[in-house]
Amino acid sequence: MALITLCVASLVLFTIYVKEDDSGPLHTVQLGAAEVLRPVRGLFGLATSPFSAASERVEGALDASEKKELEARALEYEEGAAEAARLRDENERLRELLDGERPSFTYSPLARVVAPVGGQLTERVVINVGSDHGVRPEQPVVVGNNTLIGRTTERVTPNTAEVLLVTDQNFAAGVRILPPKASQGETDEESTTAGESTSGESAAEDASAASEREPDFGADSHGEGLLRTSWEGYLGVDYVDLNADAEQGDFVVTSGRAGGRELLFPPGLLVGTVESVSSQDINQYKNIVVAPAAEADDLQDVRVIVDW
Amino acid sequence: MALGGAQTHVVRATLLVALAALLEVTLAPLLTFGWVAPRFLILGVVVAVADLRDLQALLLGFFGGILTDALSGGLFGVGALGGVLAAAISLRIRVVRRKVGAGPFAAQAVAVAVVVYDLLGLFAPILAGQDGPPVATYLAGGVVPDALLNALLAYLVGDRILKLMTVKEEKWT
Repeated sequence: MALITLCVASLVLFTIYVKEDDSGPLHTVQLGAAEVLRPVRGLFGLATSPFSAASERVEGALDASEKKELEARALEYEEGAAEAARLRDENERLRELLDGERPSFTYSPLARVVAPVGGQLTERVVINVGSDHGVRPEQPVVVGNNTLIGRTTERVTPNTAEVLLVTDQNFAAGVRILPPKASQGETDEESTTAGESTSGESAAEDASAASEREPDFGADSHGEGLLRTSWEGYLGVDYVDLNADAEQGDFVVTSGRAGGRELLFPPGLLVGTVESVSSQDINQYKNIVVAPAAEADDLQDVRVIVDW
Repeated sequence: MALGGAQTHVVRATLLVALAALLEVTLAPLLTFGWVAPRFLILGVVVAVADLRDLQALLLGFFGGILTDALSGGLFGVGALGGVLAAAISLRIRVVRRKVGAGPFAAQAVAVAVVVYDLLGLFAPILAGQDGPPVATYLAGGVVPDALLNALLAYLVGDRILKLMTVKEEKWT
């Protein structure tokens, strides 16, 4: 009888302990006891430290398989994290592509860059959409928010198309130079003035701000010309008048028209930003160097504008 | 006077159990090797209650277990139940003491009590909703070696502790 009673009492204590929270009486008793016993535990810990060290070494040797398993699991998690990061980036790219769609344009399905095209002086890639998807030669190819990265060449098969990138020396496009939106420009000027003495810690913020700027399509053009890559390898705008207002940081977008002629590309596709502007008295035009908005090496998912 | 001798015995047994509980929560964790560790509480209870009356023995086992629960950070009640069951096992097995001797008696009782105590330690966390070790692995790699180690310990020291607990009763004159 006593045995049963004491067993039941133990089970009741167990139940109370499990049900109560950390501030309950039984937990409080344990906390108080732990505090009281701390010096004793420290003393025993000091006395048994050689045994503990030996025990850990032996356990470590015996747990080699567990260590390997944990390492394999950690590797698996790292791979999972890398895959998740890749999918997140891809999701952002695709979302940007979709968000940048213009109602007046007709796009091909999303295309993936499947191969670069070799050649010392060529900047071309092959994408996995072709004539079966409505792609024809000499159509603009864009990434992100309608950023022009090239045009299709004559080499269009039912399922692939070759793209001539803007940085290829055979690429040319009529472009306009537009200032950034007024408020952004002012903000930039203010920040530039105020931040002259600041160190490089704001460089990342500046780059981020620059990438978020937009051209002011309603503003007067700062000049027009022909975009192409020089033999020296610089992407620039040729034939810009000396009296044009082009300045560093301006946007370069396709003009779509030259006088009364409709050009190869629809108007308003972003190509890049003006990196430097210079002029010499003996030249008739300004020398404008452009930083492309999309790097050829980073291309993954693109779309062809098949109609506009 | 016989009453006075018995009281002394109970006090010694109580002190032994209290010391065992103290060692259980302070020293045993430092001597743990995987799932195997000296179970001072079980050893103390089994030896201490060997010559006590049933109720005294069970109460002393309960007391030792409660003390262990209070001093340790483990699940409250597990030690108490383990202590009570260890006392009950000791009472049950003590009949063989005269036949096999104090050492083997202590070894048998401690081995069985440690198995029970380890099983309580296995199932209590599961009942409390915590994760427990794999049962088969724990039984093979934890319970059996733990029982053997503590049985060996009890065999080596049980006889001496029992002698310390024994008090010669003064005869009525």
